[in-house]
Amino acid sequence: MLLSLNRMGPGRYALYSIGVLVALFLLFPILFIALLSFGSSQWLQFPPPGWTLKWYRDFFDDPRWIAAILTSLKVGLCVMALSIALGLPAAFALVRGSFPGRVALRAFFTSPMIVPIVILAIALYAVFLRLGLNGTFIGFVAAHLILALPFSIICIVNALEGFDEAIEKAAIVCGASKLEAICRITLPSIRLGIFAGALFSFLISWDEVVLGIFMASPSLQTLPVKMWTTLRQDLSPVIAAASTLLIVVTMAVMALAAFIRRRSEP
Amino acid sequence: MSSTAPVLVSIRDLVKRFGPTTAVDGVSLDVAQGEFLTFLGSSGSGKTTTLFIVAGFEDPTGGDVLIDGRSVLSVAPNKRNIGMVFQRYTLFPHLSVFDNVAFPLAVRRRPRHEIEQAVKETLALVRLEEFAARKPGQLSGGQQQRVALARALVYKPRILLMDEPLAALDKKLREEIQIEIRRIHRELGVTILYVTHDQEEALRLSDRIAVFSHGRVVQVGSGADLYERPADAFVAGFIGNSNFLPARVRGVDAERTAVELPNGAVVAGRTDSALASGGEASLMIRPEKLFLVNGRDAPDANYDCRVDVTLRDSTYLGDSLQREVVTPWGQCLMVRQTGDAEALSHAGTGAALTLCWHSGDARVFRKTAGSSAPRS
Amino acid sequence: MRSTLRRGRAWPLRGFGPALPALVFLFVFMVAPLAVLFLRSVTEPTLGLGNYAELLGDATYGRVLFNTFTVATVVTVVTLALGYPVAWLLVILPSRVARWLFAIILLSMWTNLLARTYGWMVLLQRTGVINRTLMDLGLISEPLPLVNNLAGVTIGMTYIMLPFIILPLHATLSAIDPAIMQAASIAGARPRQIFFRVLLPLSLPGIGAGCLMVFVMALGYYVTPALLGGASTTMLAELIAQQVQSLLNWGLGSAAAFILLTVTLILYAIYVRAIGLGRPQ
Ligand SMILES: Nc1ncnc2c1ncn2[C@@H]1O[C@H](COP(=O)(O)OP(=O)(O)O)[C@@H](O)[C@H]1O
Ligand SMILES: [Mg+2]
Repeated sequence: MLLSLNRMGPGRYALYSIGVLVALFLLFPILFIALLSFGSSQWLQFPPPGWTLKWYRDFFDDPRWIAAILTSLKVGLCVMALSIALGLPAAFALVRGSFPGRVALRAFFTSPMIVPIVILAIALYAVFLRLGLNGTFIGFVAAHLILALPFSIICIVNALEGFDEAIEKAAIVCGASKLEAICRITLPSIRLGIFAGALFSFLISWDEVVLGIFMASPSLQTLPVKMWTTLRQDLSPVIAAASTLLIVVTMAVMALAAFIRRRSEP
Repeated sequence: MSSTAPVLVSIRDLVKRFGPTTAVDGVSLDVAQGEFLTFLGSSGSGKTTTLFIVAGFEDPTGGDVLIDGRSVLSVAPNKRNIGMVFQRYTLFPHLSVFDNVAFPLAVRRRPRHEIEQAVKETLALVRLEEFAARKPGQLSGGQQQRVALARALVYKPRILLMDEPLAALDKKLREEIQIEIRRIHRELGVTILYVTHDQEEALRLSDRIAVFSHGRVVQVGSGADLYERPADAFVAGFIGNSNFLPARVRGVDAERTAVELPNGAVVAGRTDSALASGGEASLMIRPEKLFLVNGRDAPDANYDCRVDVTLRDSTYLGDSLQREVVTPWGQCLMVRQTGDAEALSHAGTGAALTLCWHSGDARVFRKTAGSSAPRS
Repeated sequence: MRSTLRRGRAWPLRGFGPALPALVFLFVFMVAPLAVLFLRSVTEPTLGLGNYAELLGDATYGRVLFNTFTVATVVTVVTLALGYPVAWLLVILPSRVARWLFAIILLSMWTNLLARTYGWMVLLQRTGVINRTLMDLGLISEPLPLVNNLAGVTIGMTYIMLPFIILPLHATLSAIDPAIMQAASIAGARPRQIFFRVLLPLSLPGIGAGCLMVFVMALGYYVTPALLGGASTTMLAELIAQQVQSLLNWGLGSAAAFILLTVTLILYAIYVRAIGLGRPQ
């Protein structure tokens, strides 16, 4: 223990209170929205005068919200698949390759996490305008993939660095070809990293709003873009319902990740 | 045995450079069928690199590796049909023990019943039948290396490479598995190339030992060869304990070389290399070949070499008594006495004694950088 | 022949091939568009550095830069002050409790950004819960202006950045060998001394990493300032968006973007130099 709690004296109460306050601070808006989404007040009065499911009904009755969900799902799944398809070989190159500039390449691959998204958004918007990609499915996938790629690469690089290459060599002396050794031994051994990369990639795409705001056409909107355009008009409680649904999805994904991690531990 | 059996692996003038460093510097070795040959040398001496070239993981900068008289350099490692156990634990973490051992047969597309049969037999060979369903993470280090051994043997390769497979285990476990490895080598008759930096392990296991130093093989021979007739001071220092006395060559004849010690005493030793009279040399003698007698007593006629010394320290080691003595020129020497240690047991620190030995037990080496060889 | 074929593996770009698809993709979709943007910043409306001169010389834009750096600095300081104790708690709390705290942090981090920002918009508005509660308690008579100003932006951004400082700090703190604290303690150091002389210096790398991360992210943040800020509190990212989207002033917008990008990349380079490219989590 770094200075164990009971030896810290009164200082620990200060520590506790900051911990509790921060936890409440982090939870507060999330819980608040979940509650409001069931409140009957159009103007988001709190505490709500009554309880209702009206906002959820409004949400599911509106085909534009449903279309937005489907678009987000489709884009997210495509981004996830492509992010692994490009990120997996790139991670192998970063970990196993022995070419000059490997460190620089690694920095380059993580740079999309650093470039402010607004800049990327307007740069893409300008180029996509020429290419006719603004607001298209391909445009969304390409844009989101830029942001997702660093996450899949980092996750897989970490997993691969933790995997002893001698194990792959052992498979090769056993008679497996290089490809066979990678597919049957290496990939299954780093599957948690690949899985985490896929999950992050999906969540990045699922949550991305800025890239979408700039290039979305009214015909194709992801869920966050639809929320944004609605928000810009008013603070309608339907958004509270949509937000609550998103929070539930996030919790489900986190639970799934925790479950898979726990199950794969020996 | 190695002289009669046909040669299976032949390593010819192998050279491997990594940029400026030369990891392997002209290694040539012939390994007979069924032989247990060990590469012994300190860390960084090129043992692993040589083994990896034989396995096919590294391409040599020069030289050749022949198996059955044919070069295998163009054969991919997975086609060489060699078994290998690595220094680190290399079991496939996501597969059970059974599937780990079955893997080489599975990639060879053998029928299911044959695989099951072979895996069972091989697990029995390493005495791990009841662990078949476990995952590697649930095994101890020693068990993991035994599974790795089973995996390397299950497809009945003719050659088995082992790169310090026991380095990560503690002493007792190491000795246990050494006995298993010997038994398996006897039962299967497989040719084994074994790497270790532990001289005791090399002596215990091998038919022949190749001593590596700076990418070269300095001597090849049985354990007794290396111990009794080390080719140079390095080998003498690496295998067993030794005392090195600075000496100057006085006279050379067919049998013995006479040398003068720093205090002017002239003694003799055997030598294999030609030494110039007057040149600097180093006289090597094993601690157990040295005897101490009381300074006033008449020395045994068997011992034709003598130096006066002072006793500095005695350590009781159960089966022997280890003494440290100081020569007139201030060098500290080790003496190991067994059996008749009684005679001098009363001698205290500072006692004046005479150190004597038989000239046939001493060896004279040319003075090289290696004469301050490591004690392993 | 055999050896020459296999020696091909010693090619200087050994193992580079698999990185190519990702590299090409990023060049086409990130580097090239950014390059085009840069060209526009020095060619529109006229060739030269006019846009940059205007941005750095004009008081209105100076105000925007000031807002941006102020908010980023305040957010960094506040998140550090709140995040360090929490990261510390995560290390020393019994693991059952720590797990819950962790779950809360991750949940807030992975909850949709708009959902969270929406929550703060509702909470902070004139008729929102916070103002209502304070007025009911009689602490204030007029609603506090909490939204559409820098206060709102700071609260919202602090909320969003907190996990990004807690996680690297936690990684650093949990990597410190507890035996070091015990050694300091045996050597006679009092808790306060242990904290200032041992723990704090040892956690400096994590503090640096977290602060740099938060500062860089805060500099270029768009969503939260756009929704919680007001007309007079424009920040750099909003300025860029406005110039391009509403005013179609690509030259000035691009120049602003490149000022932001340059500052960001310099800070990133410092980060890479000082901390290396570790794991982000
Ligand atoms: N892949 C490599 N790149 C560069 N140098 C290497 C490589 N592998 C081994 N070496 C160098 O070659 C020498 C011999 O190494 P090695 O064969 O592993 O020694 P040993 O197994 O006897 O300890 C060492 O100096 C080592 O640093
Ligand atoms: Mg080695």
